[in-house]
Order: sequence, then C-alpha cells, then structure tokens
Amino acid sequence: MTLFDIIFTGSEQALEACKSVLEQTIKEYGENEKVSFPNTAYSLPTIYAATGQKINTLADLKGAIGVIESLIVKEQNLEKALNAGLATAVAAEVIEACKYVGGKNPYEEPCVGFIPDTVIRSLGVPLVTGDIPGVAVVIGEAPTAEDAAKVIKDYQSKGILVTLVGKIIDQAIESKVKMGLEFRVVPLGYDVTSVTHIVSFAIRAALIFGNIKPGDLPELLKYTKERVPAFVNALGPLSELVVSAGAGAIALGFPVITDQDVQEVPMNLIVQKDYDKLVQTSLEARGIKIKITEIPIPVGFAPAFEGERVRKDE
Amino acid sequence: MSCDFECLSCDAANYKLMEKARNEKIETVWDRAEAMQPQCGFGEMGLCCTNCAMGPCRIVKVSEDGPKKGICGADEDTIASRNLARSIAAGSSAHSDHGRDIAHALYHAAKNPESGYKVKNHKKLISLAKEWGIDTENQDIKDIAANVAKTALEEFGKPFGNLRFIQRAPEDRKKIWNKMNVTPRAIDRDIVEVLHSTHIGCDADYRNIMTTAIRAALSDGWGGSMIGTELSDILFGVPEPHEIEANLGVLKEDEVNLVIHGHEPTLSEAILIAVNDPELIELAKKQGAEGINLVGMCCTGNEIAMRHGIPMAGNFFQQELAIVTGAVDAMVVDVQCIMPALSQVAKCYHTKLITTSPKAKIPGAIHMQFNEEEAIESAKRIVKEAVMNFKNRQGNIFIPQEKSKGFVGYSNEAIINALDKVTNSTAHPSGTVKPLADAIKSGVLRGAVAIVGCNNHKVLHDKGHVELAKELIKNDVLVVTTGCGAYACIKAGLMSKEARGLCGKGLATVCELVNIPPVLHMGSCVDISRILLLLSELAKFMNVDIKDLPVAGAAPEWMSEKALSIGTYVVASGVYTMLGVAPQVTGSDNLTRFLTNDVKDIYGGYFDIESDPKEAAKKIISCIEEKRKILSI
Ligand code: SF4
Ligand code: SF4
Repeated sequence: MTLFDIIFTGSEQALEACKSVLEQTIKEYGENEKVSFPNTAYSLPTIYAATGQKINTLADLKGAIGVIESLIVKEQNLEKALNAGLATAVAAEVIEACKYVGGKNPYEEPCVGFIPDTVIRSLGVPLVTGDIPGVAVVIGEAPTAEDAAKVIKDYQSKGILVTLVGKIIDQAIESKVKMGLEFRVVPLGYDVTSVTHIVSFAIRAALIFGNIKPGDLPELLKYTKERVPAFVNALGPLSELVVSAGAGAIALGFPVITDQDVQEVPMNLIVQKDYDKLVQTSLEARGIKIKITEIPIPVGFAPAFEGERVRKDE
Repeated sequence: MSCDFECLSCDAANYKLMEKARNEKIETVWDRAEAMQPQCGFGEMGLCCTNCAMGPCRIVKVSEDGPKKGICGADEDTIASRNLARSIAAGSSAHSDHGRDIAHALYHAAKNPESGYKVKNHKKLISLAKEWGIDTENQDIKDIAANVAKTALEEFGKPFGNLRFIQRAPEDRKKIWNKMNVTPRAIDRDIVEVLHSTHIGCDADYRNIMTTAIRAALSDGWGGSMIGTELSDILFGVPEPHEIEANLGVLKEDEVNLVIHGHEPTLSEAILIAVNDPELIELAKKQGAEGINLVGMCCTGNEIAMRHGIPMAGNFFQQELAIVTGAVDAMVVDVQCIMPALSQVAKCYHTKLITTSPKAKIPGAIHMQFNEEEAIESAKRIVKEAVMNFKNRQGNIFIPQEKSKGFVGYSNEAIINALDKVTNSTAHPSGTVKPLADAIKSGVLRGAVAIVGCNNHKVLHDKGHVELAKELIKNDVLVVTTGCGAYACIKAGLMSKEARGLCGKGLATVCELVNIPPVLHMGSCVDISRILLLLSELAKFMNVDIKDLPVAGAAPEWMSEKALSIGTYVVASGVYTMLGVAPQVTGSDNLTRFLTNDVKDIYGGYFDIESDPKEAAKKIISCIEEKRKILSI
C-alpha cells in the first residue's frame, strides 16, 4: 500500500468509527442533546476553527460528518493526503466530544482529556518566550518502560511540554515519571482519539494568540506551523489510524518522528530507531533550539520542576 | 499587445521584434518556414535517399504504382532507418566533438600557461582521476589534469574495451546494453560505424541499423556529452544556484552588447574574462559606452549562466531577433545551432557577426579564429572588435523591456547540497539522493520530467516547453530542463520562487523545504549527462533500474540532430520520451513501431509523439503513475 493509501484507509476507519459512535450517542441521548467540552469558549475547537461553525447539539454534530467525508478524497497527492489527515483529526474530535455528552467526565486520573482554555492561556506566555521551547506529543508504546522514561525525562529536562497518549502513560507511571501540568508531563488518554485534545490545544492557541479567524483554515495551518512548536513521536506498531492522525499533525506543520519502518517524508515523517537519538532528531526536525545549556546535575534541573514541592519521604 | 505575430511566439519580446523585423524588411526564420510550405512529403517521412549517385531515390507510398524500392533495392525500412541513423550519428558527433574540445582545453590548462585557462575544481578533478585509476598520490595537480585530459581524449578512439563512464550506470542497465550489443566502445568508432553501415550496399536490416545508431547515441550521452560536462566543471567550476535575468530585455542601450552564441564554454569562458579586462572596459568608455554587457544565447549562454550568472538573452529562435534590436555590437559564435541567416540580418544593422571556429564559418561573417592555446589573448581581440563597433550603431534601436528573473545553476552537486538541507543530521546520511527518493516514494512528488531541446516552427515558439512544464508542476511533477527549453522556462518565470504558486501542494512543499524553484535549470544540452547521472544515482539508491523510475523525458520543440541523438540515448537508458514534433521516420511502419513500441520491451524506454502540450502532459503523467503502481509506491 502506498503511504497515501495507508492514510486514506486510516481516515476512512476514523470516519466509520466516528459515525457509529455518534449514532450510538444519538440513540442514547437523542438528537437535541447538548454537545460541548468543559471550560472552553471555542465549542468543538477543531471544527470551529476549520469551518467557523459552533456545534451545539448532537444534530449539529451529524453535520460535521459531511465535513469529514468531504475531506477524504482518495487521489494520490499530498494535498488530498493532508486533507484526509485533517479528516481524521475532525473525526477524533467528534468521537471525543461524544464521550462528554450528558455532562459526563469521561477521563480520570492520571489522564486529563480535554484541556481547558485557562490552561492554554497560562501556557501561552512561556510558549511565546521560549520557556517552553516545544510541545512533544508522544503516542503509543516504547519497547521498554526505561526507554519511555528516558525519552520523557529528556524532554522534561529541556523544559518541553510532553503530552502522552496510549500505553506510554502506563510506562511512564511504571518508571515513576512525575506527571501533571506542573511537571509538564500531561497524559491525555489511552485511546488514540484523545490526541485530539492536544490538537485542539494548538488550534486554540492559534485562535487566542494568533487572532486567527475561525473558518480561515489556511491561516490557521500557517500559524500552527510557524508558531506552535509541536511535534509527534509515534512509538510502537503503527495502525493505519495512527498514520492518518500523523498526516493530520503534518497538515498542522508538526513533524512526526517514529521508531517504526515507514516510508519517510523529508522533514515531516522521520524514522529514528535509536532511542538515544530520538529527542535530538525530534528537536532538529521541529527546528527547536534549547535556550539554556543543560546542567548535568543528578536531579532534573529545569522549569518543569519549579512547581515541585519536596515531599517528606523524598 | 495584439499583433499578427502572437500566433508564432508566446513571448512578447519576440512579437514586438518580429513587427520591427517586418517593418524593416528583415527576413526571419518564421518567414523562411512559411516560404518552405508545403514541405516535401518524402523527406518528411524519411523516404528519400541520396546515399549514392544512382539516386536520389524515393519510395512512393501514396499511390500503388510508385516505386517501393530504391535503385539498389533498399526498401522503406532500410532508407528511413539509414536516414535516422545518420542523423543520430551527426548529433552524437556534434556533442562528442564538443567534449573533445573541452578535453583539449583541459590539457592546455595543465600544460600551457599561455592558454589562460586554469583548473577550477580540484576536488572533482581528483575524484574523476581516481574513478579512472589515474595516480593522484603526491602528484602535481597539473599532471593529474593532463592525465585526465589524455585519458578522456583516448575515449574517442581507443582500440579496445568500452567507454569508462558506462560503469556509472546501474548494473541492470549495463546488462541490457551488453545483451543488445550496444555498449559503446570508443566514441568516434561508434559514430563511424553508423556512417559505414549506412553506406550503399551495407546494412539493410532496420533493426540492426538502429542497434548501431543506438550505440552511437549512447556514446554521446555516456561518452562525449558526459566528458564535456565533467571536464567543463573541472575546468570552469561546478555550477551553483544563483539568480539571473533572462530574455532580450537584458540588452543594454548604453553599453557595448556582446552576444555570445553557440555551444562551447571554452570560448565563452575566455570571452567572460576578456570583457572584465580593465583596459577593454576603458576602451569601451572611450567609445562612449558605459561598459561591456556580455549576454548569452543557446547552450553557451546556458553554460555561463549556470557558472557565472551571465544573463540569458534568448534561445534558438531569438538569435535573429537579438540583432533586429539594433543594439547588438557583436554576436560572437562558435559551433552548432547558429543560423547562417545571421550574416544576412547582421548586414542590415551595424552588428558584427564573428565566427571563431574552423569548424563553423559563415559567408559574410568576420572570422576571428579562437585558439585554445592562447584562449584569453584571442578572446581579447574578439572583444575589442565588439567594443570598437559600438560607435557604429545606427538610429533605429529598440530593446524590448521584457526580462524575467529565475534561479539557475542546478548541477547534481548543487542538487545534493540542497537535499542535504532536508535531512535530519541525527537520522539520515548526508550527500545522497535519499530525500529525493523519499519525496518520490512517499508520493509527495509524483515523479520528475526532463524538458529539453530546441525551438521548431512546427510548434508555437516556447509554448511547447512552457505549457508542458506548467501542466507537470501543477500535478506535483518536478521538472528539470536544459538547452533552449531552459530559456523558455526561465523567461516564463518558472524558475522563480513565485512559480511555487503554480505547483501542486506536494511539489510546492518540496520547493519550499529544499528552497528550489519547481523547474530546475541543469545546464546546456551536453549537461543532459547530468540528468543521466542523477537518474542512475536515484535508481541505484532505490535498488531498481532507470526504466523503473517514475520519470520521463520530453523534447516538445526539438529540431536538431543532436536532439535525436539525445532522445535515442535517453530511450536506450530506459526513459519514456515524449517528442512534440514527429521525427522523419513515418514512411516506415516497421521503424515507427520499433521506436514507439518494440524498444520498450528491450530498453524499457520508448518514444511517444504528441504536439499538444496538455495531451503530452496527460500521457506523461499516466506513464509516471503506471510506473508508481509497478513499484507499489
Ligand atoms: S543507396 Fe540505394 S536507395 Fe539510396 S540513392 Fe543509392 S540506390 Fe538509391
Ligand atoms: S536546444 Fe536545440 S536549438 Fe537549442 S542549442 Fe541545443 S540543440 Fe541547439
């Protein structure tokens, strides 16, 4: 299968999943049930930013299916492949939104799920000043918990905000990585679709700090590419769905670095199997230069530890 | 502007000058083409033979009762294939003799300080010396250069073995050539063999004639042209990207305009040095000029544009029009594609047409022999002639303001350098074609096409090149170009950064990341050897043969025998090749089928003919997509 076909397949899978979850949710709650993420003024941020439309009810959400479908055009070229990636991002948002229907809070510790606007506003300044030099989205599973910890801690020591999706969360817990916003390690959720919460983070950053008009997709993509220093590490076996989500990341301007054998795309999809080099490769791919030289002291010395209180037993 | 000439050229500079030419009763190539109509059907179909004094003979196809055989008994297949083979041999000779001159110049640079030439690129020299097994340890660079030059010269007539550069081809390619017995041996020998076997009463088997012709063509691409390019780089420097201006608007009202036209950089490089000579500049000022403005035309123009950023004044069909501006003080020419008509046009103005090569004199022109042994001195004499002619300019000067900017200088080395910028230093090797291979394999780029060749009145001037290039880049196909096609593309703005706006998303992304225009100028006609090497590198890197790559060649406005030789070696190297003008072979169904069909099974490449650029693009893209399917990419 060509790389683009893998992406199209993944996007179609996302579309199917999205349709069935939505159908199920409507069956349960009825079309008029409200849909929203908690603590945001941006409705369903991805859909809002891309189309300019706010989604209020499950009925509205049915309309979003058309958006996803229109983004999946199976022609062999980059433009269509990136659009299909965006389709997967929208589908993931629909699926995630359904989880919140009925006022439920679907995520529990340590996962945070949807990230509220206030957090984005508070992270905005350090992102602009470079105190947070980058945002790493680590998806999947490293070969061992040590590998996972090594990579996460390395990012952490550089002040990079790390978000985790999938089994890597358990690996981080197992190797006692300190987690939470104050440590700049944020587990999003175990489902691939929970990656949408970091996507909507980036998109809201564009709306809030970049003054991008909702519906102006090209400007939005330009802003995220130029101003949001995010990148993706996709670890472990890659499903078609993950690859198509990766295409969504690339559409936003975020390179994907993986430890798996895939067809590389210069600057955008890079294979790095050596865990000692993964962080370096990723930072170079996103053009991130670390401001402060690292100080080799045994405890991680970086802004990530600023919020830490030394507990008695330590 | 609307005028009668828009239908003859899509370049505004041209039709303004065509108007001027008509008002001043100057005959141009378009007038002569019109006067020639209708052109002879026998020649057009390749069915006229003049190879012996029993002839001329012609095969009549239109009526039942006309002759079906020549007096010697040669049939349509024999006659058409012999004619084609001889054309290919002529084209191969032209390129190869050019290569030989460069080799001589390299030899003079090494042995003869008087020549004024100096070896510029030691690195490339040494790597070629090593490739050829020439001793480089503790050797004087001059001796290495002399040995490389001698070894290159031996390639033309060595008694045994095969051409050295053949080793650069992918293994599968070499196997095909060996099996078909077309592996070139010695350049001159392979060409001579065509002339021999197409003599009366020799080879009558069209397939065998084509085998001989293909060998001679390969000895051009992988021999004469490749020697020309490689040694030119060694002698004059490897081209690097830079921005330049193109089109007839580069002529200057207040400076001595010297147009250098022809092919061999041995002359143009020396002229370039001479026009920068302070004494000559001073002399120009004494004549009332602001300075000396050197501009290039056709392939020699490509060579100095690629290496030194000299403006590209115009391509093959603009040579007369350049003089029609009235502002050309000298047109200095060497060999190939120089219309004899120039001397007639020059007579109507003050322009001095100066021929320089003993191989190409034109009645009515001034001949000032250029000697490689004392290159700079002869160049200075020629420039002085131009300078002294400035004051003879007459009233009616019109320089059209049309000119455009673009980036040129994409040698393979420059391309690899650019590609290195998109590698990740911790994940990828540098100095390879990997990023190009990845862009193609991932589908971001669908493929690459080389648009090369001339101008021909049978196609609207430049439109064949430009429209085809536009269609291809729109569909994420990278275009590389050489020769007069390169002029058409740069004039149309396709080598500018803004041209990214005309590209599909994939190619636009690549151009932005790698910082290149979507159409890459790779040089002169002999520099098509660069394209052969790039394809070889790509094929080797992807572990396939050249024929498997999603690439194609196109010569939308070809006219010369050199173009036939190029097309033939490109096809025999495994590349699908689109011609915008039909070659003179259609009188033989067998030969036509051989070229457009049978060769595909043998070499992988084959000829296709389509004059409509949009249709040509469609066919090329579908061929590229087919290859992608076979590779499952
Ligand atoms: S070679 Fe044969 S076909 Fe040609 S001119 Fe002589 S007799 Fe005629
Ligand atoms: S492209 Fe054709 S016309 Fe132009 S210089 Fe080369 S051979 Fe001559």
